Amino acid sequence: MTNIHDTQPHILLAVDIGGTFTDIVALDTQSWQIAVEKVLTTYPDPAVAVLDGVRALLKQSKISPETIAHVVHGTTLITNTLIERKGAKTALLTTAGFRDVLEIGNEGRYDMYDLALQKPIPLVERRIRFDIPERITADGQIWKSLDIEALRELCMTLRDQDISAVAICFLHAYTNPIHELHALEIVQELLSDVAVSVSHQVAPGMREYPRTSTTVANAYVQPITEQYMTRVEDGLASSGVTAPLNIMLSSGGTTTVAAASAFPIRLVESGPSGGALAGVYWGEQVGQSDILAFDMGGTTAKAVLTKNGVLSVTTQSEVAHVHRFKRGSGLPLMVPMIELIEIGAGGGSIAHLNKLGLPTVGPESAGSTPGPASYGRGGVQPTVTDADLLIGYLNPDYFADGSIALSKASAYKAYEQLADSIDLSVEQLAWGVHQLVNENMAGAARVHAAERGLEIRRYTMVATGGAGPVHACGVAQRLGVRQVIIPPLAGVGSAFGFMTAPISFDFTRSYVTRLTNIDLDNINTILDDLEQEGRLIVEAAGVPSDAISVNLSIDMRYVGQGYEVRVPFEKQTLTRDHIAEMQAAFEEEYRQFYGRLADGVSIEAVNWRIVISGPTPQIGDLDHNLDSEPSDQPIATRHVFFSTGTSSQETPVYRRNMLSTTWHVDGPAIIEEPASTTVVLPNWSVKVGQGGCLVLEQKDVKS
Amino acid sequence: MTENAIDPITLEVIWNRLISVVNEQAAALIHSSFTTVVREAGDLSAGVFDREGNMIAQSVTGTPGHINTMANCVRNYVVPNHPINSLKTGDTLITNDPWEASGHLFDLTIVSPVYHKGKGVAWFASTCHAVDIGGLTMGGDATSLYEEGLAIPLMKLFDGGEPNTMLFDIIEANVRVPEQVIGDIYAQQVGNNVGAKKLIELLEEYDLDDIEDISTAILNRTEQAVRSAIQKIPNGIYNSDITIDGFDTPVTISCSVIVGDDTLTVDYEGTSPQVNRGINVVMNYTHAYTTYTLMATLAEGIPNNEGAFRPIEVKAPLGSILNCRRPAPVSARHLIGHFVSQPILSALSEIVPDKVIANGSAGLWNTMMDGELDAEGTPFAYIFFSAGGMGAGYNRDGLSATAFPSGIMGVPVEAIETSSPLLMHRRELLQDSGGAGEFRGGLGQTMELEVRTGLPANHSCMYDRTQYPAEGLQGGKAGAVGDIVLSDGTHPHPKSRYVLQTDQTVTIKLPGGGGFGSPTSRDPDRVLADVIQGYVSIESAQADYGVIIDSTTIDHERTEAQRKEMNNDSEAL
Repeated sequence: MTNIHDTQPHILLAVDIGGTFTDIVALDTQSWQIAVEKVLTTYPDPAVAVLDGVRALLKQSKISPETIAHVVHGTTLITNTLIERKGAKTALLTTAGFRDVLEIGNEGRYDMYDLALQKPIPLVERRIRFDIPERITADGQIWKSLDIEALRELCMTLRDQDISAVAICFLHAYTNPIHELHALEIVQELLSDVAVSVSHQVAPGMREYPRTSTTVANAYVQPITEQYMTRVEDGLASSGVTAPLNIMLSSGGTTTVAAASAFPIRLVESGPSGGALAGVYWGEQVGQSDILAFDMGGTTAKAVLTKNGVLSVTTQSEVAHVHRFKRGSGLPLMVPMIELIEIGAGGGSIAHLNKLGLPTVGPESAGSTPGPASYGRGGVQPTVTDADLLIGYLNPDYFADGSIALSKASAYKAYEQLADSIDLSVEQLAWGVHQLVNENMAGAARVHAAERGLEIRRYTMVATGGAGPVHACGVAQRLGVRQVIIPPLAGVGSAFGFMTAPISFDFTRSYVTRLTNIDLDNINTILDDLEQEGRLIVEAAGVPSDAISVNLSIDMRYVGQGYEVRVPFEKQTLTRDHIAEMQAAFEEEYRQFYGRLADGVSIEAVNWRIVISGPTPQIGDLDHNLDSEPSDQPIATRHVFFSTGTSSQETPVYRRNMLSTTWHVDGPAIIEEPASTTVVLPNWSVKVGQGGCLVLEQKDVKS
Repeated sequence: MTENAIDPITLEVIWNRLISVVNEQAAALIHSSFTTVVREAGDLSAGVFDREGNMIAQSVTGTPGHINTMANCVRNYVVPNHPINSLKTGDTLITNDPWEASGHLFDLTIVSPVYHKGKGVAWFASTCHAVDIGGLTMGGDATSLYEEGLAIPLMKLFDGGEPNTMLFDIIEANVRVPEQVIGDIYAQQVGNNVGAKKLIELLEEYDLDDIEDISTAILNRTEQAVRSAIQKIPNGIYNSDITIDGFDTPVTISCSVIVGDDTLTVDYEGTSPQVNRGINVVMNYTHAYTTYTLMATLAEGIPNNEGAFRPIEVKAPLGSILNCRRPAPVSARHLIGHFVSQPILSALSEIVPDKVIANGSAGLWNTMMDGELDAEGTPFAYIFFSAGGMGAGYNRDGLSATAFPSGIMGVPVEAIETSSPLLMHRRELLQDSGGAGEFRGGLGQTMELEVRTGLPANHSCMYDRTQYPAEGLQGGKAGAVGDIVLSDGTHPHPKSRYVLQTDQTVTIKLPGGGGFGSPTSRDPDRVLADVIQGYVSIESAQADYGVIIDSTTIDHERTEAQRKEMNNDSEAL
């Protein structure tokens, strides 16, 4: 970094904890230079790696701590705590008669053909789920008052039960929170050292199963998150970093430590949302706003679709699946989250024969331990990474920055028996496995696009992760996608994405009403309260009040429908006159989504979502600094299989950090860098683009 | 053509692509659908068929009663009557014939041919449950098919892309909510079109003329895989039967599973005759739930397509309740049809006890309420589905409050109360309703309801297993029977309609699943855990499991003595 003597804070620091590595990125907002540090994630306390990594980066890049303007942090701590079931002992208080909501669930089976399927075990066992006499009706009326004496008595007995967190979820609390608020007060008074989560604050939406599940999960991770945040804050301070610490949310915004500690469940999947933000950023660099962000690592492959530069935020998701690839087998969550889909199991996925005797890939994975056979760490099963090596896409001597020497012989051995059993050569099978895994990922992305009514062919792919650039061209070709971007800093894409996130917070409140019957006073009060609450959080993170923007969207549907359409609508004091406008806005979105309207059917509003955000940070042109003398010539050639597993092609190999900004060639070509390898297929071209990204384009399409 | 013409890699790649094509078809359909039945409960199926109408692949959505009936409908009814080359691009066929399609008039099956290079290459079809089809609403009350609504014989819905306006007019004039019904018909057509478009892209990308070789290879390999699975189980004839409540008189389903070398026959000889209420089942639906149960039990990981059905034969006497004659009423055919799974599982338990589960609640419990909202007479009608307990397996407890064999999901209390004047006082698992066993049956649930209109309301019940419980397996005990009881203590008829008065609440208790293995073999610690969690009472722990519990600890000495005595008693029997 150049400005070590400049004490004006101008450095952005982003920290992303992943399953294997903790990534730290520093961005100088004067020179637009970037520095990166990667350390192994530490268990059980990931704060150790965060603080060690930050110190190492500061030292190595000669950054003085007081020049840091802002720290953004994303973590998998919450997800891991839920998967490993290592959270706090949590009690649940429910409306009397409804203590089994978590167990009754949706009464369905997530796999029709699996008679032995298991459902996720509730985070709170039945004996510490308690009935509290009270009842609010669907229209928010008090049907039965809260039994304060019963609640007080219960709290006294809970004192001896070693409970560290309490979740409160009463029926219809999203329409009238009075009982939950009263219960909160009593529990806090009588159980002062216990973390309390209430449903109308954590997940104020209709449907008691996902709301209860979300509230319980929030309570369950709250004590651990709070301790962790304190350790990170104190640690940074002791290293001299006093800049504000903001936490990445799964919705694509960032928030204060205090808000993150109160709603830790909103941090689930914050890492991938950073990856999606980075995808949007790099798409913008080449003038594209319809982006398919494709991330493929050793254990997972994920995709996010972004239309018009706007990330799609869903409030229906799951965490801690019983079966990784089975929708419905996880704990449901009702928090705003960038919509991302898992489309494959990454480079560690194992090839085998299925029940039809045909080669197939996954869902079993060798993961990172023992890992692919070629890693030589005890893995013997044939994996996707082994196939990529056998067909020449990977360089055995330059993988993961040379830190792992890949053994082609071990990969060959792993595939030999399988290939023999179906009369194929090892190379034919390896080539086939590469095609299969590409087809499976493309298939999952296609179906996801169809579910949202999008035409994926017009999209630009941004590929990241160790294996992403290896498979990007092949997946794009199968999708009919004609442009692929391989950003620089691919190994730390999520952390980089954090820097492009605005400070923001959002609330979704269910208030179901026909547009014609809308109680304007009531809804105006609700929306103003939500805005006020959000403003406090965003201002606390340092955003001046005049820089705050407020966005309202309303989920609406025709009465009788089960799914809503999200309609943006200007936040203002709503009057009778606005109702026709709301209807028109709904019809416009609806027609776009479904092609036709349902004339004569009443329209109802269901959820009201308010997003309060600060400005989106503007990142300048990154300094494309080369590590060595530029050279546009290949550093080697090798034999690579492109069209079948029977004939290979002599292919030039380039080193990415040597390429000049004007470099371009036609495929086939291989471009190597420490974090990954980019494969350019024969009918594609590649050039260096804006900010140092590689831009791959398909030259011609078969008719 | 032999399948050797295609190498295994290409075959698997194209096969996976076909699966993604039908999932895109289903996604487009769901995306365009107008109704909660399709969108939320997932009451639909979608699939791709070869030129001859053999189902190759199906979407991951759907319920057994739709998928497998659609497969038979296309192959045995649509294609013989309209061979693919007698139609043209833009043609689409429709039917809701219960005998040829999925067993009641509510389900619309819509089928479109696909052409490539001037030749018919494939069909896309889907079946969706229409929210209304005229006639009486869903239930068992009709005494003949003619009371159950509009019948649509196989005919063109679109001709060269032009809608059959006469048919649309007839549908519009016959159903209560034409906007939704016709909206979903268009959604099905959108799905078929998306499927066709994506299939042609596939053919062009791989330079194929058609999918016949792919179909032949996949179906043959699937057939072979199912035959191998059957070869692994011992030949023989395995019998079982169950009796359930029926409408007015009990119904018996008798079943023989005949395992040959590599074939399997299920014969329902001895099953009760058809009745004059709308609970009769057509052969196609019986076939669907039979093959579903066999595939889920014996064929793990094998795709469900036409090849899978070839080694399996299903027979039921004509005129029985599982193979009813026209024009028997069939509207609520699931009330009987869901139960064919039960004796099959019991019969198979003799040879593959580790693959089956004990009997469970099986039939969904459908609660329908209607009446007037206010003094002006504004009507309301609301229906929701609920599930009792599933049976236990050889190494695990049964799932509580979970639908099986149906693939439908329940509705949240908050959604029920937002959309209707119902108020639920209670909805929780029902203690001691799971059949005792080394592995316990899943618990049923109980709910208590009232209607908040201040006016009397009609409650139509569609409930079974109120007299005949779900039996256990291998020494496991039966689950609890279900019940329906009003706050004044009276018990309404479980399959009829009564008036719920303003000062009354109704409590519905759903049946539990059967246990697996002897209750005295259950680990006493697991019995204690069940007592602590409230799944089992202290009294039941002693009476059914022989485990004596003193508040939170096991009295091991007395437990041993009690269990010894219970085992002697059961031997003496």
